[in-house]
Amino acid sequence: MAKVEIRDLHKSFGDNEVLRGINCNIEAGEVVCIIGPSGSGKSTFLRCINCLEEPTSGTITVDGHVMDANSPDIDSYREDIGMVFQQFNLFPHLSVMDNITIAPTMRKKMDMAQATELGRKLLASVGLEEKADAFPRSLSGGQKQRVAIARALAMQPGLMLFDEPTSALDPEMVGEVLDVMRHLARDGMTMAIVTHEMGFAKSVADRVLFIDEGIIAEEGTPDQIFSNPQNPRTKSFLDKVLEA
Amino acid sequence: MSFFELLQESLPLLLQGLGLTLWLAFISLVIAMILGILASLAGLSKHAPLRALNSAFVAIIRGTPLLVQAYFIYFGITGVLGIRMSAFTAGVIALSLNAGGYLSEIFRGGIQAVDPGQNEAARSLGLSRGQTMRRIILPQAIRICIPSVVNQWCITIKDTSIICVIGLAELVRQGSQIIARTYRPFEVWIMVGVLFFIVIWLLTLLARIVERKVSLG
Repeated sequence: MAKVEIRDLHKSFGDNEVLRGINCNIEAGEVVCIIGPSGSGKSTFLRCINCLEEPTSGTITVDGHVMDANSPDIDSYREDIGMVFQQFNLFPHLSVMDNITIAPTMRKKMDMAQATELGRKLLASVGLEEKADAFPRSLSGGQKQRVAIARALAMQPGLMLFDEPTSALDPEMVGEVLDVMRHLARDGMTMAIVTHEMGFAKSVADRVLFIDEGIIAEEGTPDQIFSNPQNPRTKSFLDKVLEA
Repeated sequence: MSFFELLQESLPLLLQGLGLTLWLAFISLVIAMILGILASLAGLSKHAPLRALNSAFVAIIRGTPLLVQAYFIYFGITGVLGIRMSAFTAGVIALSLNAGGYLSEIFRGGIQAVDPGQNEAARSLGLSRGQTMRRIILPQAIRICIPSVVNQWCITIKDTSIICVIGLAELVRQGSQIIARTYRPFEVWIMVGVLFFIVIWLLTLLARIVERKVSLG
């Protein structure tokens, strides 16, 4: 059984059919990068995996659990799926440490001392030990995103979803966030990453999905996709983004 | 009687009235805040009957004068049900329902003003709807609401004066009784006005300090 199994996933917003039948598995330990033109449905696809968007039809299972926003167990399923957002979405009224400890203390009934210890370790791993008592507003974009990654990791998830994690960053801060993600990948985390960073996808992904007009138009190893794309739409997309 | 003699004679009674005004306003606002938060959550619920209940509540409170609400509760309801109710109890019920209706709209606006990404981040960590509301959304919504909430507190403190019509000896009623005895409306209404003004001014000052302390900007 794959870590994530997606069968015939459709999603419409009103008359607008954003996803038109997606089938895909993600194996444990695999790093999958999802690329494609804007508006192609990449983010919607990712957000369906943890049910932030409810599919119109189709099924998604994670660790064998059917993901359904109305399931009484959806909260506990989500505990095991970390998510990192383009806009960081740190909690502005909480300190960096509280951002990280809130979920483990509330959901896993971890005591504060234990959660703080975990928080320190995670902050150290993203290079922000000294920011534990800072508030999000005082951090740079890159620092915010690293805290957001630490916050997601605090639940010790088996799967991490990244929704364009570097798209809102100033160019000089992209690298520090990608480095953290690279380390995670090396440590064996299962990751699904929607990204425009082709260089990163090429070097870190085990598999690349090219999504266009709501379907997986092409998939393969980074080598296959970037050096030898078969679908003309993949070619034209890569020509556009790589020449820029 | 000189102004100072008048002041000396009136002040104890006026302060007594002010005490009642503040007590009435305080109890009513505590209830109204709780009612307002619950009603705003009902207004944002995914269950249609709860939303309808909230809409009806807000429409009735907004659509009728507080004076009518107070009369209705003190004379109307007690008459029909044959129960006895003190003027203070009736005043608290009228004021807390009234302020609660307005506060519910203020809170609803505040909750909706919180970035939807906050909800998504909290839910993606596994927090339930209720945990997300309590720990993530409401703390931010309340900060957004502070100016409007303080505004409503000021209005309610002054609205206690309407409750004098059901016979409660609050500040305004004390004032008019002194005037009936002394026939000095000019000075006495100034005293009453100044007392209200000081209370509201202190409250606003306090609110501004709190606002600066908790600001996220």
